[in-house]
Amino acid sequence: MAEQPSLELAPSTQVTAEDGTEAPQPRATRRGSQPTAPSRGAEEGKAPQLLSRRSSVLSTLLGPPGSRRSSLGAAPGGKRPSVGPWLLHSRVSFTGLPLFQPIPETHLENTYRMRPEEGCRFNAGRVQRVLEGALAGVLGGTAYSPQGSTVLVQSLAELLRSRAKEVVPPRYKLVCHVLLGQQGQQSMLVASRALWDPESDSFASASFCNASLFAVATVHGVYFE
Amino acid sequence: TSLIRVVQFPLQQHVKAKLEKAVIENKGDVLVFSLCIESVLGKADYNHNKVNQWTAAIVEQSLTHLVKLGKTYKYIVTCAVMQRSGAGLHTASSCFWDTTTDGTCTVRWENRTMNCIVNVFAVAIIL
Repeated sequence: MAEQPSLELAPSTQVTAEDGTEAPQPRATRRGSQPTAPSRGAEEGKAPQLLSRRSSVLSTLLGPPGSRRSSLGAAPGGKRPSVGPWLLHSRVSFTGLPLFQPIPETHLENTYRMRPEEGCRFNAGRVQRVLEGALAGVLGGTAYSPQGSTVLVQSLAELLRSRAKEVVPPRYKLVCHVLLGQQGQQSMLVASRALWDPESDSFASASFCNASLFAVATVHGVYFE
Repeated sequence: TSLIRVVQFPLQQHVKAKLEKAVIENKGDVLVFSLCIESVLGKADYNHNKVNQWTAAIVEQSLTHLVKLGKTYKYIVTCAVMQRSGAGLHTASSCFWDTTTDGTCTVRWENRTMNCIVNVFAVAIIL
């Protein structure tokens, strides 16, 4: 499908080269390359674009009648002609429903890296500073409200996760957990424990409180083998 | 060429991980975690001195239960215990992981004097 548009364009560009330009040589050498074809198409108007569209539609259709070809090419995004599945899809099952080709899943190869590289660990101190800065920045002047805090805590969790992602080395999965509560006379304790590889995985936490609310944020970083 | 194709695959590693994720998020586990909390906190009243050992015990028991499941997962268990005083509490979590193989489970528990929230995050290891 890739070769068809350039072949169709070739004769038309040859015509323009002979007409006006003084240096047909550079144009002739660039004829075969695909990227410059659209720029030539812009000079000549809409005709080559329709040509390329028609060829892509033809490649999926089996053999449509000649009258249908122009309507499908002229309005690719507009009105759909009422064609059956046997025209639009290359394979149809016995029930008349189209058979879609299975999308192949890309399986990545094994990299055999069980540990993070030297110096590429989860830096707990750095992440903690980032968390403290972000919490103070967002919650500095905010007051607690029952309705607003729901949205606030969700957006805060996503924000902290994206900030932590910037400073954490690649191949780390992150879990960011935020607790936001109203400042009252109550006492509270947050604890966490994990089953992981202590050499490669770690966590960082930060807390913030002002007159009306308090917030505790924890980010756990788990190395993905 | 035949129009109907019958394809059979052996259960590959990534497919197994997806099945195990469904098990982690099974509602049955929620019951086990709430029983863990119940056994530790039970009918006790909030006591600032004992809260440390309570949270440690809850987290330990939850992790032991998860290990007994025998899946190839790394686990993170978070527990928050708060005194009930009429104040509001919101919690949210955002995770950067593989949504097809990793999952989470949250359990809320309360009694007359305190609230307890336990979060379990399971992150898959592909062997």
